[in-house]
Amino acid sequence: MDNITEKLAPIRKGLLEFVILKIVSADKVYVADMLKLLGPTEFATQEGTLYPLLSKLRREELVDYEWQESDAGPPRKYYKLTPKGRTQLSTLNDYWKDLNRTLAEFGN
Amino acid sequence: MQKVVSISLNGNSYQLEEPGYEQLRAYLERAESRLKDSPDRAEVMADLEQAVSEKCRTTLGPHKTVVSTLEVERIISEMGPVESADEKSAHAGTEGDSSGATQSAGPPRKRLFRIYEGAMWSGVCNGIAAYLNVDVTWVRIVFVLLTVFSSGVWFLAYVVLIFVMPVANTAEDRAAAFGMPFNTEELISRAKKNFEEFNQQFKWRREWRRQQRHWHRQFRQMNEQLRVATAQAAPAMNQTARAVGGLFVVVAALFSAVIAVALVLALISLFTQHSIFGWMLPFDIPLWVVALVLVALYLAISTPLRMIRHGGHQQGGYHPGWGALHGLMWIGFTVLMFWGAYTFFPGVREVVDQLMWAANLTVTTISETIV
Repeated sequence: MDNITEKLAPIRKGLLEFVILKIVSADKVYVADMLKLLGPTEFATQEGTLYPLLSKLRREELVDYEWQESDAGPPRKYYKLTPKGRTQLSTLNDYWKDLNRTLAEFGN
Repeated sequence: MQKVVSISLNGNSYQLEEPGYEQLRAYLERAESRLKDSPDRAEVMADLEQAVSEKCRTTLGPHKTVVSTLEVERIISEMGPVESADEKSAHAGTEGDSSGATQSAGPPRKRLFRIYEGAMWSGVCNGIAAYLNVDVTWVRIVFVLLTVFSSGVWFLAYVVLIFVMPVANTAEDRAAAFGMPFNTEELISRAKKNFEEFNQQFKWRREWRRQQRHWHRQFRQMNEQLRVATAQAAPAMNQTARAVGGLFVVVAALFSAVIAVALVLALISLFTQHSIFGWMLPFDIPLWVVALVLVALYLAISTPLRMIRHGGHQQGGYHPGWGALHGLMWIGFTVLMFWGAYTFFPGVREVVDQLMWAANLTVTTISETIV
C-alpha cells in the first residue's frame, strides 16, 4: 500500500494545484482552513508546500487575496479565485473528465 | 535551566529556548535557499513567518511565556519542508518530500566553515584543512605559494574567502565542518548575507577587535615562551658567560645593523633597478609584494634577536649600560656600512646623490622664499 501511495505521489502533487483552485472557487479561504480541509484527504499537505504554491498561483493571476481582520492576532490573507482562475478551473475540470473517460474506455 | 532567545516574527516577539531557536533559524534559512529562484521569495517567507508566529502563539498562555524546543520541533514538522512551486524545481520536489522533513535529523552535512580554534589569522586555512581533512600547515603553504605565483592576486581571493566562509560558532557547525559538500548557491547567498551583515551592523569593528585580541594573545604567548626559555638558561650564566654576554652585545649590534642596512639597500635596489643586488625577480612578481616579503623577512630575523636581548635584560645577566653601548654600536655600524655602500656601489651612490640634490633644492627654495 505504502509503495503505491509513494508511486502516485507525483500525480497527487500535480493535482494539488487543481484541488486548490477548486477549494478557492467555493469560498474565500484562509490557509489554515485549506489545510484543515485537505488534512483528512489524499491531498493532505503542509504550509511549506501550500504557501509557495499560492504565491505562484497569484503571480499567474489565477487567485488573489485580501486582508481580513481576525479576532485572534494580526490580519489574515483570504484567498479567492480571479476570473482568469475560473476559466483555468473549467479547463482543468473538462480535462479531468476527458482523462476519466479515457481511463474508462480502456476497461477495468 | 535553558537559555532563551528573543525573536521577532512578522512584528511579534517570541521567546524560544536556544536549541529551538537554532532549529527554527536553520529551517527558515533552508526555506530561503530553496526559494532563492522564486520571484515570490519575500512573500512566501513572510507567509511562513506568519504561520510560525501563529503556531507559536497557540503554545503560549498566561503562565507560559517561552516556546520550548519540543514545541518548535513540532511546529517545524507541521509546517513541512518548503518547496518552490515553480516548474524548474518540480523534480526537486519529490526529493524534498522524502528528505526535507528529516534533513535536520539526517547525517551531518560537511560544510566549509572558518574555524578560529588554532587559527593563524582568520581561520580560512584552518577551515579548509578540516574540510579536506589535511594538516593545516599544508594549506597555509599552498596559500602562500599561490599568492607568490599569482602575483598577489590570490591574496584578494583569500580576503573574499573571509567574507564567503561562515564562522563555525556552535559545536554543531564545527561538527559539520568535517561532514558533505556544500552547494555554490548557498555559498554565494551566504557571501552576500555575510557582507551585508558585516557592513550594516558594524560587525567589522567587533571582528577587528577580536582579531587584535587574538594577535595580542599569540604575541604574548610567544614572548612568554621566549622569556621562559631565557630564564631557564640564566642560572647557567656565570662570570665567563657574562663576558660572553659582552661579546654578544657586539655581535648582536653588528648583526642587527647588517640586516637593517641590507633591508634598506635591498629596497632601494628593488625600486630603482627592479632587482635585488643584481638578482632579477622571477615570474613578474609585483614590486610591492617583494617589498612586503623583504620587510617581513627583516622582522622575522630581527624580532627574536631583540626579544632575546630584552629577555637578557630582565634576567640581570646583562648590564643596563650595555643597552646604550648596543645602541651606539648599532648606529656606528650602520653609518659605516652606508658609507661602504655609498663608496662601493654606484647604484646606491646615484640614489643617495639624487636624494641629497632633492633635499638641497627644497632647502634652497624654502630659504629663498623666506628671504
